[in-house]
Amino acid sequence: MGHHLVLRVICKLLVPLILLFALYVQFHGDFGPGGGFQAGVLFGAGFILYGTVFGLGHFRSVVRPALLRTVAACGLLLYLLVGVAGILLGGNYLDYSVLRENPASGQHLGIFLVELGVGLTVAAVMISLFYAFADRRFRE
Amino acid sequence: MGLFNYWVAVVLIMTGLYVVVSHANLMKKVLGLNMFQAAVFILYISAGKLAGGTAPILDDRFTQYSNPLPHVLILTAIVVGVATTALALALVIRIHLAYGTVEEDEIDAKDSEPS
Repeated sequence: MGHHLVLRVICKLLVPLILLFALYVQFHGDFGPGGGFQAGVLFGAGFILYGTVFGLGHFRSVVRPALLRTVAACGLLLYLLVGVAGILLGGNYLDYSVLRENPASGQHLGIFLVELGVGLTVAAVMISLFYAFADRRFRE
Repeated sequence: MGLFNYWVAVVLIMTGLYVVVSHANLMKKVLGLNMFQAAVFILYISAGKLAGGTAPILDDRFTQYSNPLPHVLILTAIVVGVATTALALALVIRIHLAYGTVEEDEIDAKDSEPS
């Protein structure tokens, strides 16, 4: 490991904290600054830090690019399904109030699921961008 | 100091613009544009704060809230800015692959020499 030892130790300490903070920001969008996009970027940044410190080969075994494409698509699919669920339960498209008996808790559930979809997609896209940039070999 | 936020935004906008105009390195230009963009966000969000207003989240203890519309607008703008920066960086990488350099004057020289 040599001179990368400090980086690797600090990275192993920090990455769980970053991911935990990303989850906190994701679920507190209703009550404070946060929501899907910010949480997705934080989540992606935790993984990108790991990839930068430990190298692309190691990173590829942790996060496979095909899995990232699937996760990004699933986030969008979750968003669309929440909208369609609004139609199936009798309201308009993306009508959160009909998702539960109480309109207020229906709004809570709808926003929670939609932000979850956004967070998944944004995290997957951020890590895919890192792959797209870091995977190049510069030919001089 | 009623105009403090406007002064901060002006200083940052001018700094970002200077970085774009005066540096020949493409990466530095991208960073200057990012600084410009951050200053515009500061301008909009600071204009939405009302005197004595709290964060725009409904609570029984407060009657005065800051305007939530700039927050929503700037959140969208931040997302758009991230996508634009990613595209700009991809273009810089492609230019580096094609020309071997990211200095604008060297790229111009390579373009204008008779191939």
